[in-house]
Amino acid sequence: MMENVFLPKLAKIVKNEKMTAMEHFLRLQLLDKKTAEEFQYNLGQFIEISIMGVGEAPFSICSMQNQKYLLDLCIRSGGRVTSAILRLGEGSLVGVRGPYGNGFPLKEMEGSNLLLVAGGLGVAPLRSILQYSLKNRAKYRDITFFYGIRTYDTMLFRDEFNSLLAGGDESGCKFYLSYEDPKDEQCLLLEAEYSDRCMSGVVSKLFERTEISPKDTYAIICGPSIMYKFVGQELTKRDVPPERILISLERRMRCGIGKCGNCIIGDGSSIRYVCKDGPVFTYWDALHTKGMI
Amino acid sequence: MTSESLDAFVNNLETYGKIYGPVKTGESCSFQEISQSKEMALNYSRTMIPPKKFFLKLKERMFIFDERECEYEETLEDGKIVVFGIHPCDIYALKLMDKIYLDKNPDKYYQMRRENATLIGYSCHPDEYCFCQSQGTNYAVDGFDLFLHELKDKFLVRIGSEKGNKIASENSKFFMDVESSDIQEFREAEGKREKEFTLKLAINGLTDMLALSYESDVWKEYADKCFGCGSCNLVCPTCRCYDVVDNVNMDLKSGERQRMLNSCMLKKHGLVYGGKNFRPTRVERLRNRFNCKGSLREDMMNCVGCGRCTVYCPSKIDYVEVLRRVRGEL
Repeated sequence: MMENVFLPKLAKIVKNEKMTAMEHFLRLQLLDKKTAEEFQYNLGQFIEISIMGVGEAPFSICSMQNQKYLLDLCIRSGGRVTSAILRLGEGSLVGVRGPYGNGFPLKEMEGSNLLLVAGGLGVAPLRSILQYSLKNRAKYRDITFFYGIRTYDTMLFRDEFNSLLAGGDESGCKFYLSYEDPKDEQCLLLEAEYSDRCMSGVVSKLFERTEISPKDTYAIICGPSIMYKFVGQELTKRDVPPERILISLERRMRCGIGKCGNCIIGDGSSIRYVCKDGPVFTYWDALHTKGMI
Repeated sequence: MTSESLDAFVNNLETYGKIYGPVKTGESCSFQEISQSKEMALNYSRTMIPPKKFFLKLKERMFIFDERECEYEETLEDGKIVVFGIHPCDIYALKLMDKIYLDKNPDKYYQMRRENATLIGYSCHPDEYCFCQSQGTNYAVDGFDLFLHELKDKFLVRIGSEKGNKIASENSKFFMDVESSDIQEFREAEGKREKEFTLKLAINGLTDMLALSYESDVWKEYADKCFGCGSCNLVCPTCRCYDVVDNVNMDLKSGERQRMLNSCMLKKHGLVYGGKNFRPTRVERLRNRFNCKGSLREDMMNCVGCGRCTVYCPSKIDYVEVLRRVRGEL
């Protein structure tokens, strides 16, 4: 009997921890051992999480593949499914389908500089690349991480990023932080301490702080759709070729496998499904696909 | 096959499943279950709802669940059917659906129904809304099991699959060998039919023309006329967007997951988390539909020229007229 791709696999919540007022860190473990072991994903792929009786929604995985077959996610409440997930305690069961989508071309990026640009919740998929590249440090040259937040309270994975700030270049990654609220006291304190790595303003302002060598850099951007336009422009100004600027898109993805049609974008000459052709696209794709960013 | 044997042949099709054929219902036509061939209106132009209804239900249960047990139970059930009298445009539409639903992640619900169905095509004559000739979908080369071409007092039958071959051989008493005069008659009939098309749409380069006209005022103009009702999606043989909902039973624990046809003309189609909508206005939604239909995704035009969206649009938006305006022809 052929497998029904729409039937979710059961997973247990092993951790459901509040990170900010809006976001939780969620760690899932697939119940069936064989399913868990076969669950291999590319960084940047997403899964569909089901809460029975509520519905299903797509989430990107925020950590690299680990030995214990655990799936880490960063969930912002607000929607029907997300609010329901956040109410579930540890030990509760949810349904999981996936992994879906293409993911980031990590192999292709080997030997290059990595510039990761994250805005707000967009930090989730990029954190997995950061983890992977730091773990496989020799495969990549300079690793630079731009993280744009609104206020200190909305900063995700605060401990991890604070230690990157404190560690400086020794941490293996040049970490820069931008914050939008110029009056935020905790951010001001951070700026006072790490004035060369932390500044107020939107994330694209961080380009003022560092040099980018356009020939051998891959830029990976994830954040609200407005960010792609501005960061893309900054990178283009610095001659980074558009096919080496990668973006990860958000759309209404019901099925995750190119059936339900809700995530279709583009014009007559460039129709694409975000779920199966993406969610990772290049800036080149974005320039040629109407309505992508 | 002679015209007289049609009744008996259709009766015999019962062996292969419930027979559905085009039946006149009010002013339009619909694929309904039939028991005799004379119930069918085989000279129909188009049914309101295309044959996709047999494979992609308006609303269907995907599985049931129980919160405490937390188990998903499959609930697939369906019998064999024979769809009789399907036109070439609708056959092409199903070919497109097959490419989407039977790819490397096959949709089991669709696949099961598709395997259970026998498709018997039937020749047709275009009316003023048909533009399948322009779309290249006016003659089905494959995608059917049997195809009946109506000639003067007989049918020329083409076999399109092994299943079709099996049906033909099991009903060989109805079939005769093709004579060269039959071929001649068939040729003439097809030649005559080719000339019957009045509605034309230039599709060469249409994909690029759509891309170049992305900011055109034409979209705004037609969006002002459009009610945003989504009728065009319902009647379109290639529209397959669906949405998913969970319905909970009175015990608030068990329930079922359902999917139902969605419409890209409705506001929630482009909606994501936090109220962000990627197609917030009707202009964007209308433009998106025309770009989707006018694209060559899955290596074929996503519109098969059946004319349904034009015929059934309550606001009388003419699909071909819109694209000709976009091309700058009108």
